[in-house]
Amino acid sequence: MLDGMFSGLATALMPFNLLMVVVGCFAGTFIGMLPGLGPISAVALMIPITYTLDPSSGIILMAGVYYGAVFGGSTSSILINAPGCASTLVTTFDGYPLAQKNQAGKALALAAYASFTGGTIGAIILIFTAPALASVSLSFQSADYFALMLLGLTSVAAFSGKGQVIKAMMMTVFGLMIATVGNDVITGAPRYTFGALDLVDGVSFLLLAMATFALAEVMMTIMRGQMHGSEQAMQPVALSSMKLSRDEVKEVAPTIARSSVFGFVVGVLPGAGATIASFLAYGLERNIAPPRLRKMFGKGALRGLAAPESANNAASTGSFVPLLTLGIPGSGTTAIMLGALIAYGIQPGPRLYLDHPDVFWSVIISMYFGNLVLLVLNLPLIPYISRLLAIPPQILNPLIIFFSIIGVYLVSFNTFDIQIMVFITLLAVGLKLLNFPMAPMLLGFILGGMLEKNLSRALVVSDGSFDFLWQRPLTFSIVCITVVILVLPWLLGLVKSRLKATLPAAY
Amino acid sequence: MISLTKDRFGGVLFLLLSLSYGYYAADIPLLPGDKFEPFHAQTLPYWLAGLGSFLALLLIVSKATPSTQETPLSRANVSLMLGLLALTLLFSLSLPWLGFPATTSLFLIASYWLLGERRLKMLVLASVPFALIFWLLLTEVLEVYIAPARILYW
Repeated sequence: MLDGMFSGLATALMPFNLLMVVVGCFAGTFIGMLPGLGPISAVALMIPITYTLDPSSGIILMAGVYYGAVFGGSTSSILINAPGCASTLVTTFDGYPLAQKNQAGKALALAAYASFTGGTIGAIILIFTAPALASVSLSFQSADYFALMLLGLTSVAAFSGKGQVIKAMMMTVFGLMIATVGNDVITGAPRYTFGALDLVDGVSFLLLAMATFALAEVMMTIMRGQMHGSEQAMQPVALSSMKLSRDEVKEVAPTIARSSVFGFVVGVLPGAGATIASFLAYGLERNIAPPRLRKMFGKGALRGLAAPESANNAASTGSFVPLLTLGIPGSGTTAIMLGALIAYGIQPGPRLYLDHPDVFWSVIISMYFGNLVLLVLNLPLIPYISRLLAIPPQILNPLIIFFSIIGVYLVSFNTFDIQIMVFITLLAVGLKLLNFPMAPMLLGFILGGMLEKNLSRALVVSDGSFDFLWQRPLTFSIVCITVVILVLPWLLGLVKSRLKATLPAAY
Repeated sequence: MISLTKDRFGGVLFLLLSLSYGYYAADIPLLPGDKFEPFHAQTLPYWLAGLGSFLALLLIVSKATPSTQETPLSRANVSLMLGLLALTLLFSLSLPWLGFPATTSLFLIASYWLLGERRLKMLVLASVPFALIFWLLLTEVLEVYIAPARILYW
């Protein structure tokens, strides 16, 4: 383990990789600040650039962008009450009221300290848990992998929010359907190509990610008219002092520690991710706060800002655990990273720890550097970076569209890809208007090939019988967890409606 | 009577998609003897078509969820979005003919104009130098080969 760690440290400390962390954090902060574009879009926009880099540098750049985007999202939440992404929505609850009280500098500093601590605690826990989990998962068989993928896909759907579970499952199935387009991975038989040579290799992951998360997001922003009138809102706010008093530090320190550990645990759960972690941490802090402080929540409470900020960063780190150790992404963003790793010819999972220790450890170690860069470099530069938001949206949006399409073109040099991209964007916009979530679709698409391969192997080994699902205790346990996760939202809804019926006054 | 909500409309579309997906699964060629194997190239598509249809039906018959407060879409903004997508299509069609710098400049100028930018100086300065610098960066610094405009060889 120590050898791998040192090799990872050496890789992460290479000047070029350090530069990638810095560039990633800056680019991520900027993209994350733009309302509507979150970490998924930011990471998707980086894919074409990472194709020219070696795997470690590419993944380090993406990890930097991921953190930067989460941090950038917090900045726009605090300064202009427009969360850059869902995981920083809770930050607006207390961050924006603080900015309105002329404490924007303090709010930004607190968000940066909380994010740094959350990310650091998350990275430290990751150093110990990831290798342990990776060595356990070396004993996994096809059946276990199939069950794990089922768990990953199910939990993404189950955690997708009220009234969205069926739709998220449908989108997962849709992603799996898209994954079957092209030559079959096992027999080589052409599937759903309709004679088109361009479809023989299947739908490109890059194209799908860019169309659904970069291009479609910009189109949605334009369609919702969010670009109009935002120019004034995006004018940089005058920042006050960034210093926190000793009492304030004392007040928020336990909150940050609690929320960091809590956020990491939630982040590890496949599908839960940073958004749920930030909401749960905020709720937890509000519930345990003394009544005097509880009243302040929503009006500029420091605890209310520190809790979601540390939780969402720790959860972002936590979501790397299932990706690096099991090869199953815990969130939409890590799903894109999984796709990028596969494109490099690297299969994330237990073998990654043994076969590519440099990638495994350099990613973990660079996370720490990423947090450091955000604190040391980004925080003092925030007043200047936020000025970039003053670029008129009628100039900024076409540039984002251009980078999305040229990113896809520069990989294949085939203009047909841009035409498919336009078609997929139109489809994605339609699905978004019908409130269908996109992340489960991408997850289904990425896991589709692996799921089919493992299911095929397991079925062949068990001679066509499904008893492989309950023959081994490990597989059976994963299947049981999947069933519980699948049934849980319905059960909770049932209990809630029963309670509502009996105790109407309580609600 | 069942009213056609957003969810149900999505459900009906997905049902149609799943059914046609299942229908075309029969066209997937199988290797000799594959039919007797527990898993072949048609297996997953058939299962997915079944699962997709089941979920779509579930969405159609389930109680409609109260729609969240959304900003209504104006016709002008929808046209704007469609216009930008049309420009993207035009970009892909003209790229081989006009070449990278000219296509990029024209695409950016048209997009800026479509989104409301009317200052000529801004339209030109934010597009032509950008396209030229980006093209030089790609071809001279990163040494990426970008095919010259076909129109030059006509």
